Amino acid sequence: MQPQAQSGIGIISRVNETTRYTLIQEDSMTTTNSLARLLAFSAAALILGACSPGTPPADPYDQSKMDLKPPPAKVSSERHKGAFAEGGSLSMGAELKPLDPAPVKTVRLDTTHKIIEIAPGVKFSAWTFGDQVPGPTIRARVGDKIRFSMTNRSDEPVPGVQLTAAPMMHSMDFHAAMVSPQDKYRSIAPGQTIEFDFTLNYPGIFMYHCGTPMILEHIAAGMYGAVIVEPRNGYPTKVNREYVIVQSEFYAKLDPGGRKVDGAPLYVLDGDRLRTSQPSHTVFNGVHNGMVKKPLPAKPGERVRLHVLNVGPSKTSSFHVVGTILDRVWFEGNPDNQFRGMQTVLLGSSNSATVEFMIPEAGAYIMVDHHFANASQGAIGLISTDVKAETKDLEHHNIPASATPTDPDAVQGKLNFESKCLACHSVGEGKKLGPDVAGVTKRRSDEWLARWLKEPEKMLETDADAQAMLKEYNNIPMPNQSLGDAEIQQYIKYFHWIDAQPAGAAKAGGAH
Amino acid sequence: MSARARAVLGAAGLLLAFQGAAAACGICVEDKIAAVYDHAIVTQALGRKHHVAFFLIDGPLVPGAGMRRAIEALAGSAHGVDKGSVRVSVEAASLSVAFDPRRTPLATVQKALEQKLAARKLSLMPMRLMDQPANLKTIGRQ
Repeated sequence: MQPQAQSGIGIISRVNETTRYTLIQEDSMTTTNSLARLLAFSAAALILGACSPGTPPADPYDQSKMDLKPPPAKVSSERHKGAFAEGGSLSMGAELKPLDPAPVKTVRLDTTHKIIEIAPGVKFSAWTFGDQVPGPTIRARVGDKIRFSMTNRSDEPVPGVQLTAAPMMHSMDFHAAMVSPQDKYRSIAPGQTIEFDFTLNYPGIFMYHCGTPMILEHIAAGMYGAVIVEPRNGYPTKVNREYVIVQSEFYAKLDPGGRKVDGAPLYVLDGDRLRTSQPSHTVFNGVHNGMVKKPLPAKPGERVRLHVLNVGPSKTSSFHVVGTILDRVWFEGNPDNQFRGMQTVLLGSSNSATVEFMIPEAGAYIMVDHHFANASQGAIGLISTDVKAETKDLEHHNIPASATPTDPDAVQGKLNFESKCLACHSVGEGKKLGPDVAGVTKRRSDEWLARWLKEPEKMLETDADAQAMLKEYNNIPMPNQSLGDAEIQQYIKYFHWIDAQPAGAAKAGGAH
Repeated sequence: MSARARAVLGAAGLLLAFQGAAAACGICVEDKIAAVYDHAIVTQALGRKHHVAFFLIDGPLVPGAGMRRAIEALAGSAHGVDKGSVRVSVEAASLSVAFDPRRTPLATVQKALEQKLAARKLSLMPMRLMDQPANLKTIGRQ
């Protein structure tokens, strides 16, 4: 990483060092070099030296000027009963609100337990900040004070059968703050409220999360979000669009008790998957392929700034945007940590980056974790010139639910199909590189489909129907996806579910 | 300095030592309480006007379910402890119990618990007491 010079003075002092080095070299040369040349160098050194005031450049991170003495946190038994998230600096979805100019930002993020839909048909028992996953994004700038309050409302009853996790203690850990963890980040019991202030001293994209043990479970259950801290004088560049992308993993399994939510199976945290870092879903902004279904808008020629945060809890992200180059990458969201012309940016758990790029021409530009095992689990989104800008927040829970299977095998088949097959096949929208899968169970037997999915190349050697299909589709063979038997049955169940729906009702999530 | 004062100072020192190593998460007092906080037990106890006490466990702890079950069994048999109310976290070195303060004061409960746990060379330091909803009171050594 090549940090930018802090100021012009910094550059001059480096030139002085070079000049001194050069003079020594000149002294060692033979006397054929004239005295005048030496004098010229000396004069240059003096002139450059005169430009330096002799004092070190002002450090923008001078800790003696930072506010490092916030008042003690207050814990009370007063329960907040209003909105779960409050504050003018909060953005609820990917689209960021402009910076609130108030120097003191009042932020409330209450904790709740609720059922969220992380993928079509996957209703997950989550723990939240502000009643959503990820929690709302806080936007502020260096020097601003955050006046934070949080009530633990995990014990508030939810109508109907108890499906959420039992109430428990929670806490808040702001990576953007410099405070005593024992004072500000203490866990509070259900019904308690904690309040504390802190001042933002460094620019960046910072994670916040619940810090109550087991932290791994609290983060995996959904308790995280982002704080965007702009430099004191703003960013050095101008952009047309600004979004926040939070990558995270879910570790879900079917509820052992077989409980259902609105007819769909309930999914709960899978401790075994969690401890072995084997997520069931890896997503952007809380939803499997969420921004494929609802692309972020941009126009050709526009400059886009993404604030990307990988909250993990356990996986690394290799963030990439297909079709463009990251003109600027500010690692951790701080313009002092700048790269130019990057193809990907590697983000460990709780790492972040602000990336800027241009939309060169009309198209759908694909945000993806280039660890494709993660992308295939849902870490994909689109920035598209073909969608109209939303006038409301792009919150995932505002997206109307599409028809989706309830059988867990069919649900998994649908997820696999959307991850692996959509590039070549549609569901009820006609031919692409391969056939439309709508109606496939009426055209083919299950046994034929199973053989085709298992070994398409062998089928092409002997099966007349397979050979005819190859000819119809321009001799482009379907690649062998190395599918296991269980996975093949999931696909077939999904295809049967599609064909049981009213015409046009079943659609896959992807648009590319 | 009296033996009681020395005990108090010793306990405070132990807690500070834990907090001093607070670079790792889960060390704070509230985190230790969170590890054994059971909302169903708290709600049930407070509904009967019982209290819930949270203790730090000091002594040789071997991580694992066997150790947890052993401590739960010992603590559950202590005089004054509500049946089925013991929660133990070996990893967090903490324990919680519910009890009826009108019949058995906290000091008596703690003494009974420590007599049981002495077999395992364990002692207790009180951290917080919950005597009403959403109120974790700081308490000193009984």
